[in-house]
Amino acid sequence: QHGRVKVKTTAQQEEEKKKEREKKLKIYVAARDACFAKRKEGVKDEEALELTQQLLSSNPDFATLWNQRREILTHLETIYDSELHFLESCLKVNPKSYGSWFHRGWVSSRLPRPNWVRELSLCDRCLSLDDRNFHCWDYRRMVVKMSGVSVEKELEFTDRLISSNFSNYSSWHYRSTLLTLLHPESPEPKSPSRDPQTHSHQYELVQNAFFTDPNDQSAWFYYRWLLGRGNFNCFVVLYFPTLATITLFCAFLFSQRTICDLPPGTISDITNEHNLTVHWSEKPTRRDCALYTGRSESWCRDSATDQELFRSELSVEKTSVLQSELESCNQLQELEPLNKWCLLTIILLMRALDPLGYEKETLAHFQTLKEVDPMRSAYYSDLCSKFMIENTILKMEYAEVRVFSISDKNLTTLCHLDQLLLVTHISLSSNQLCRLPLQFAMLQCLEVLEAENNLIEKLEGLYHLPKLEEVLLRNNKISSLADLEPLASCPKLKHLDLRGNPVSQSDGVEAELKTLLPNVTELLL
Amino acid sequence: QGTQIKDVIIKPDAPATLLLDKHADYIAAYGSKKDDYEYTLSEYLRMSGIYWGLTVMDLMGQLHRMSRAEILEFIKSCQHESGGLSASIGHDPHLLYTLSSVQILCLYDSMDCIDVDRVVEYVRGLQQEDGSFAGDKWGEIDTRFSFCAVATLALLGKMDAINIGKAIEFVLSCMNFDGGFGCRPGSESHAGQIYCCTGFLSLTGQLHQVNADLLGWWLCERQLPSGGLNGRPEKLPDVCYSWWVLASLKIIGKIHWIDKTKLRAFILACQDEETGGFADRPGDMVDPFHTLFGVAGLSLLGDEQVKAVNPVLCMPEDVLQRRGLQPDLLS
Repeated sequence: QHGRVKVKTTAQQEEEKKKEREKKLKIYVAARDACFAKRKEGVKDEEALELTQQLLSSNPDFATLWNQRREILTHLETIYDSELHFLESCLKVNPKSYGSWFHRGWVSSRLPRPNWVRELSLCDRCLSLDDRNFHCWDYRRMVVKMSGVSVEKELEFTDRLISSNFSNYSSWHYRSTLLTLLHPESPEPKSPSRDPQTHSHQYELVQNAFFTDPNDQSAWFYYRWLLGRGNFNCFVVLYFPTLATITLFCAFLFSQRTICDLPPGTISDITNEHNLTVHWSEKPTRRDCALYTGRSESWCRDSATDQELFRSELSVEKTSVLQSELESCNQLQELEPLNKWCLLTIILLMRALDPLGYEKETLAHFQTLKEVDPMRSAYYSDLCSKFMIENTILKMEYAEVRVFSISDKNLTTLCHLDQLLLVTHISLSSNQLCRLPLQFAMLQCLEVLEAENNLIEKLEGLYHLPKLEEVLLRNNKISSLADLEPLASCPKLKHLDLRGNPVSQSDGVEAELKTLLPNVTELLL
Repeated sequence: QGTQIKDVIIKPDAPATLLLDKHADYIAAYGSKKDDYEYTLSEYLRMSGIYWGLTVMDLMGQLHRMSRAEILEFIKSCQHESGGLSASIGHDPHLLYTLSSVQILCLYDSMDCIDVDRVVEYVRGLQQEDGSFAGDKWGEIDTRFSFCAVATLALLGKMDAINIGKAIEFVLSCMNFDGGFGCRPGSESHAGQIYCCTGFLSLTGQLHQVNADLLGWWLCERQLPSGGLNGRPEKLPDVCYSWWVLASLKIIGKIHWIDKTKLRAFILACQDEETGGFADRPGDMVDPFHTLFGVAGLSLLGDEQVKAVNPVLCMPEDVLQRRGLQPDLLS
């Protein structure tokens, strides 16, 4: 039951209401029992139709009665047109009943010559009363499918709705599915054309919407999607064959890591050069890697910048479009300083155009966002963390080093750890991290971890790291020996700093740690 | 000028503490309203109504006040030849009520009241070629029913009875531009459907297929200035979304993206101090449906006066531990 306001009444009004309800109940129960009786006896006649109609008019969610009606209609075979008439009145009363819409679809599909034009017009009328009625939209999609209305025509339909109304999330959503049908991979057709649904038209349309009404959130949601389109789920492939383990190590972006063992005897000696090729069947592709003479490790890695991992490929045309949109959004932001959608969109545009160049502005805008929209501060902190990690990865790549350092950046979360598979040194000090998540266990090359001055309670991800020697956790929130257990699986761990953690205060912890981590030679408590 | 934000205003005298005793009294008395018009009108969902009442009572530690024997008898009389269960006696079987009845039998640890093998056959028979599930033999397709199917089978320990790969394929085909899910491929994202689909993906071990960052954003944007949550953009807040949205966020590891203090205040304001129970929004009429989701929402927010609730199955965690069921959650 939704939207039923509680109204206070007098004792007498209560009494009258009670009598009225008792009467209604009697009638209802009698009708229901009559329906059930007919069904039990297998009677499928007009009277049964009458009875079910009576009840369904006021209670269209009584699904069993629609079932009964379908049995009767199937038996009688000729009442389908008047059924549509009945359904229209049901839908007028309650346009959100699953049962009514499904029954209408069932009836329509059974007509020898269904009138899909009439069905479309019913949808038009229903949507003009409530353009967010998802039952109606779903019904419309079914009608469109059955009657072969073109994608272009439906796009025009959404154009009309969007230009005449606010509260258009359903229309924008429909557009996203229609566009994906027209241009499956990206919003940019290969050759520019007069097609009204081209790329820049897309941007224009949604831009008009949010500049006309900056509080219409649906346009902002849709725009974020447009900006992100064309982000290819390309994978970064990292080989890491080592003689010691003879393991092939690959990582896929947005998917799970795979470690494969090379067939025994593949690398029989280190005096010769070895060349390896890896094929994937899932995304048919391959990578080559050479293990040079005298070396014990090697790798092959797609670069983050080449693969446009953190943003979509930008053509010259698109770059200038986005640049002008950034300018327009900046102007809008001056007029509407409290509009969080605009602020967030400015950040996303800057990420799309030049993530490193706009880093300072991005941080400043996030600060403003948290002030303007404090309920979502945690979201903005995590999103900002993600962008700062991306920037650090890009800088690391340009510098061609294997050190990842991101200190004092208010980091609240870690991500893109699959990008750090080759890193030997990580510094995360002076942030707001609460845990080192399971994905940390991917960092097979890690030798030194600096994570002082955080809020770390759990070290779930610090297990089976074969090269990890030094872990600096001064001033964190590790409170029990159990939290340190993962470290026991790191055979090379020598240096552990636990000063300023609750656990270092507990009695006998030094002895317990010596038992848990016998190879550690330098333990600071 | 332009769009106004649809929301409610919480009055300063709205309830601000959790009135558990009143809610327990309200639910305990609700079942005896058999001569009530509204109660009879809702007969078509009775099995779910019983599940809502029993679950909230168990969360409040008051399950013993409900009529166990009567309910078990009722469930027995609702199993049909096909194996499926109906909402009430004389009504037709459906996946929705098959799930509710299995959930109730878990609460009461009495699965032997029904023919389990027949239930499994009923569920299996409703899977379509494209992996989707019909709600019953009449063929309505909806991702809600995908959830009902796997949840039922998970509780019975029989998930291998269906084509899980195809089922997953169908649910993923319902993922939208905003990271959310709708009823069928092409349907608009809706918090109720998102709950069903993330729950489904949890039970089938496929949470890595969710774009948690994008969906989490869409979900945390459901929180309105009043602190309450709506089900999709530009809609009014409703306490039942404190469940659908919150549980989804918990499943994908982003529950910290909601302002918990403000949400708690909204949920508490939906209580009725006179009658007990929760309404969809402050000042409206109460019902067991909103009462369960108000209390369950508070449990997810960490209220220690209420038992821990499982975000995937909306059942007390201790009941699921008994059955050895611990669905995945993203962290």
